[in-house]
Amino acid sequence: MEKSILKDPGLYVMVSIGLLIMIFLPIMMDMFAIMQITQYVVLSVYALSLAYIWGYGGILSFGQSCFFGLGAYTFAVASINMGSTSLPFILAIIIPALFGVLLGYFMFYGRLSDVYLGVVTLVVTLIFWKLINHTAGPQYAIGDARLGGFNGIPSIPILNMPTANGQMMDPIQMFVTFMAILIMVYVGLRLLIASEFGRVSISIRENEVRSSLLGYDVRRHKVVVFSIGCGIAGMSGAMWATYQTFIDPNAFSLEMSAKALVWVMAGGVGTLAGPIIAVVILQWISLKLGQLNIINNFVLLGLILVPLVLILPKGLLPTVKQWSQDLWTIWKKNKANEGDTIIKESETVNAGRRK
Amino acid sequence: MSDQEILRTTGLTMRFGGVTAVNNVNFSIDHEGELRCLLGPNGAGKSTFFKCLTGQLVPTEGTITFMGEPIAGMDTHEIVNLGIGIKTQVPNLFNGLSAYDNVRLAAKRKHLKRQAIEKTFDMLSNCGIENLKGSEVGLLSHGQRQLIELAMVLAAEPTLVLLDEPAAGMTGEERDRLAFLVKEVTKTASVIVVEHDMAFIKQIAKNVTVFHRGEIFAEDDVKKIMKNKSVQEIYLGKSADAA
Repeated sequence: MEKSILKDPGLYVMVSIGLLIMIFLPIMMDMFAIMQITQYVVLSVYALSLAYIWGYGGILSFGQSCFFGLGAYTFAVASINMGSTSLPFILAIIIPALFGVLLGYFMFYGRLSDVYLGVVTLVVTLIFWKLINHTAGPQYAIGDARLGGFNGIPSIPILNMPTANGQMMDPIQMFVTFMAILIMVYVGLRLLIASEFGRVSISIRENEVRSSLLGYDVRRHKVVVFSIGCGIAGMSGAMWATYQTFIDPNAFSLEMSAKALVWVMAGGVGTLAGPIIAVVILQWISLKLGQLNIINNFVLLGLILVPLVLILPKGLLPTVKQWSQDLWTIWKKNKANEGDTIIKESETVNAGRRK
Repeated sequence: MSDQEILRTTGLTMRFGGVTAVNNVNFSIDHEGELRCLLGPNGAGKSTFFKCLTGQLVPTEGTITFMGEPIAGMDTHEIVNLGIGIKTQVPNLFNGLSAYDNVRLAAKRKHLKRQAIEKTFDMLSNCGIENLKGSEVGLLSHGQRQLIELAMVLAAEPTLVLLDEPAAGMTGEERDRLAFLVKEVTKTASVIVVEHDMAFIKQIAKNVTVFHRGEIFAEDDVKKIMKNKSVQEIYLGKSADAA
């Protein structure tokens, strides 16, 4: 039977945790730590974009960084040209989403699936990466914004407060805003997944043939799901650009795409909270390993990931859920057995008395 | 019952590179409630023919009209929404869901919430699978999965029902139930059945179309087809006599 999303305690727990972090972290921690954590927030939004299209649409994109980079560059170019940041931020969602519609149209209406889809998304990302890397020189400029090739675009404006006229956000305000965006994206996706549209997406993921035989337009549906994911990835790119005030072609890199895949895989495909947790844990580990400077942190990260995949093939969150369910069943069983024993004992005592 | 022509294919051809899977097939279902069996060895082009009818494949040449409307080249979901339902050779179900939920999803395409639930229970009981309603379909046998998919197809109340090897993997009892059910379906819809099981064909069919190498080889009354020497020798072998 269908269960209303609004009755799911998980949603409220996650939102409450998010709100508590948003309100209390700036009070409890120093500015440097908050700036570090802001990074995790941005990357969590990015991870959610893939968590949604892969976990709930069955679309395995190897090129999520394409849309992340596109959003980042859109924001950079538009904000440098316009001076304000609100409209560029919106453009950084719309343009990647539209590009997602275009790419999705060719992929899904061309009936590509599985590995071919992965290859196409991967190659498109590489094309962008190569292309932007070759835009060094003053001739490659859009308005006042020079693309800068492999040197990237420096001095990207910091996000303005949408209310106060032109006032730049300080790091704390940026953290709070980004946390609010993360919570909104999370809640928005949960509601979308629970809607009729979301259920059809899941049915397509589960069995594409039967979904179309039930009369659903599978291809159009996939294009929409894909472009929503692209829009979210684009937004996280804009958040990244304004957070760093700098962007270079590495936003389009394979490393960036692979990271999204790893976070979703480690957190649990088919969950939204899992990838967020994975971002925090894995990025924190990477940061600490980077500081050690003993061994290449990618090698160490790989060494952590291999056992992680072997021990938790379903990912972090689904496994923890499974374990806690198992423990609960065992605990309940023990409790019932204890009850039985007490009843038996009292029966024996009573029987003894009767004698 | 109306006498409107249900389905007609003219010169239907499907090629895959150098292989012609369906070749110049002129086939028709002339009136509502007609039940036709398609016969033929593996690779004769029966399933490809079905896939052309449901838009899963776009035919290389030829036309298909369903209830007077040309449908060749249309998308699957559009054709399905016009009223064609198919039970595929390998059942396509939502494996993680229960039988009840699978059928309800199909019923919901045609009915509002409450009616959809009623329809679901009707279909489950008609197909004799009420006892499976809570079972996860991924864990069931092939025969049981066939019945669940059939219930899904019928829940959407199609005008034309295509059944691709529905009796495969069924027990004798399940097969009898299926034969009864198929006959029931013809009260409201036309049915095309692809099947190898001769006993089952004898049970249900009046008219049979024999496919061979992508072409229609013979089309006649079931008894005449059974007696047709060339059909027997080439396609049915000894099983026709045995059945």
